[in-house]
Amino acid sequence: MKPFALLLLLACAALALRARADDANALALADNAPTQVQAASDWRSFAEVAYGQFRPRSGAAMTHNERASLDLQFDHSFAPGWRAIFSDRLDVNWPAQGADQRAINTLKEAYLSWQVQDDSILDLGRINARYGVATGYSPTDFFRNDAVRSMVSVDPTSLKTNRQGSVMLRGQRLWNGGALTALVSPKLAEQPSSIGLNPDWGASNGQNRWLLAASQKLTQELNPQWLVSGGAGQLPQWGLNLTTLVGAASVAYFEWAGGRSRLQWLQALDQPGAAAFHNHAAVGASYTTEHKLSLTLEYDYDGAALNQAQWKALMHGSPRVYGAYRQWAQAKQELPTQQAAFLYIGWQDAFIQHLDLSTMERFDMADRSRLSWLEARYHWERSELALQWQVNSGSATSDYGAAAQRRAWQVLLRHYF
Amino acid sequence: MRAAILRSICLLCAALCLLSAHAGPSAQDILAASDAVRNPDFSFGLTNTLIEYRNGKQTDTSTLAIYSKADKNSGQFRSLIRYLQPVRDANKLMLYNGKDLWFYDPANKASIRLSPQQRLLGQASNGDVVTVNLAKDYQATQAGEEDMQDGERKTRHCHKLTLAAITPDAAYHHIEIWIDTSDNHPIKARHYAESGTLLKTAYFRRYQKQLGQDRPTETVIIDGLDPNWVTVMRFTDWVKREVPDAWLQRDYLPRFKPQ
Repeated sequence: MKPFALLLLLACAALALRARADDANALALADNAPTQVQAASDWRSFAEVAYGQFRPRSGAAMTHNERASLDLQFDHSFAPGWRAIFSDRLDVNWPAQGADQRAINTLKEAYLSWQVQDDSILDLGRINARYGVATGYSPTDFFRNDAVRSMVSVDPTSLKTNRQGSVMLRGQRLWNGGALTALVSPKLAEQPSSIGLNPDWGASNGQNRWLLAASQKLTQELNPQWLVSGGAGQLPQWGLNLTTLVGAASVAYFEWAGGRSRLQWLQALDQPGAAAFHNHAAVGASYTTEHKLSLTLEYDYDGAALNQAQWKALMHGSPRVYGAYRQWAQAKQELPTQQAAFLYIGWQDAFIQHLDLSTMERFDMADRSRLSWLEARYHWERSELALQWQVNSGSATSDYGAAAQRRAWQVLLRHYF
Repeated sequence: MRAAILRSICLLCAALCLLSAHAGPSAQDILAASDAVRNPDFSFGLTNTLIEYRNGKQTDTSTLAIYSKADKNSGQFRSLIRYLQPVRDANKLMLYNGKDLWFYDPANKASIRLSPQQRLLGQASNGDVVTVNLAKDYQATQAGEEDMQDGERKTRHCHKLTLAAITPDAAYHHIEIWIDTSDNHPIKARHYAESGTLLKTAYFRRYQKQLGQDRPTETVIIDGLDPNWVTVMRFTDWVKREVPDAWLQRDYLPRFKPQ
């Protein structure tokens, strides 16, 4: 027993010495750590080049495409309480995207913000007013319609980032644990523009719109947000955003919008029809492991979309009507069918430091078609290299099977200035 | 007989006086005093530069502008954070209000609620980055006094306290902390998981006069499992700032721009 105790004592002493040496090494590193402090910058800009290949739905040979992009963000406080915000993106594509437009500019934001008091703020200009807590489908994001001019990726983050805001006057009042926001967005043009270098007021401000949003923290866990939005030719739509913690590693969310409206296919074909109350919802949860892997699973419901029988009838009906409906759903970022499932997995520092892996799966529950997307992104201090791969599967006229690209991959290089 | 009773009473009083004279501050008082060394008792702003090393090589640098204010009810700090560096994360924002954690990206206007387990800055947990009053989240007990080498290799005589988590907001199951007996300066802490695994060791060092008293301006964090993984957190640009309560919520995040 005695030799065992002695060995244990020696092992403990060795461990203590090792720990002390480790601490000494760490402190020596810290002694020589650089001392300069990075100053805040009003600018954030990057350039990106991409090369990709895709196999068309027709089954023809692989086709390639190239893109160069420039993205600028500017946020400057030019006087106490005043800020100027500008955000713009230019995409140049080879071959050209729709309507033969090689260069497509997206004026994302350009507005002035005045903090009248600590708790009162006014904004005026083109603003990307985005609401919602869901990841795959966001029914309370009332200003998402016609917002995407140039789609560079199916990643939901890219769709939310590369879009234009609407011209509006927005006021916000804050109090301890709550806020009230009101905005009005006037009609400025009749039709969206297909010209690449155009501010496209018709897409962002094609009708008079308004929105009210109120939030109030009820408990440490619950901080709901209520919304109501309406406008010319649109009955008021109500919304609710709710999140809650489930343990230390999970967040559950619920997003709902509802109101009287025509069915989506009537809106898409500009057909008259009686308005009825429709629900739109996304419910999901995100779980994060200790190793920076986050998994999000979401169920999406769109009560104004086609049900399974209606969708199957449309799939086998008039190609013109089918095409018009799909195009409308894509522009409005609505679901073409009533039910969908969404899965997103993100893993930071996967296997090695600075390598991020992401994968997404969209599943249409009406026709069982799916979109699979995978990205590996490695980043250096100012640059990123990403490889993306995408597959659309399903029958020829299904939600995802009908996509122009059946299989695609893309490599892109981004550099921040 | 009466004299014996009087003598006993006198002896008892003397013993009580002696005891009270020697009864120093409680472990919880010492912890609260050391919190007051790290954190001002008013709202303030600072810049936190995080430099991360792996196997002796610098691998990451992040810079954050932080505004902190203590909650009137809980006494715990709430913080607004803006990323200044790296450039790909510049201007992203975070709200830390107990369990109410939100992340905001100005590029896509997304407000995302985070779980406490989601770490945004490598080895440093959210709780390491923001201001925390340990005495509000942990129950301290005395574990003796001992001489301890501080972050500048000087020997300091310290209280050794063991802290047990008492609120769900506590980031660690238990902590061992060494606090200088002469001035309540925190010197070193070891953070543990419920299983007893050492998660990280932290040295509080480079004391400088900031906002009225000597405070540690650097924390060196050493990973418990991989001692070659080291993070240096350096605090600069300390300034007393008014932070209205109305700012410490999700809806204000897009508005936050430190001056």
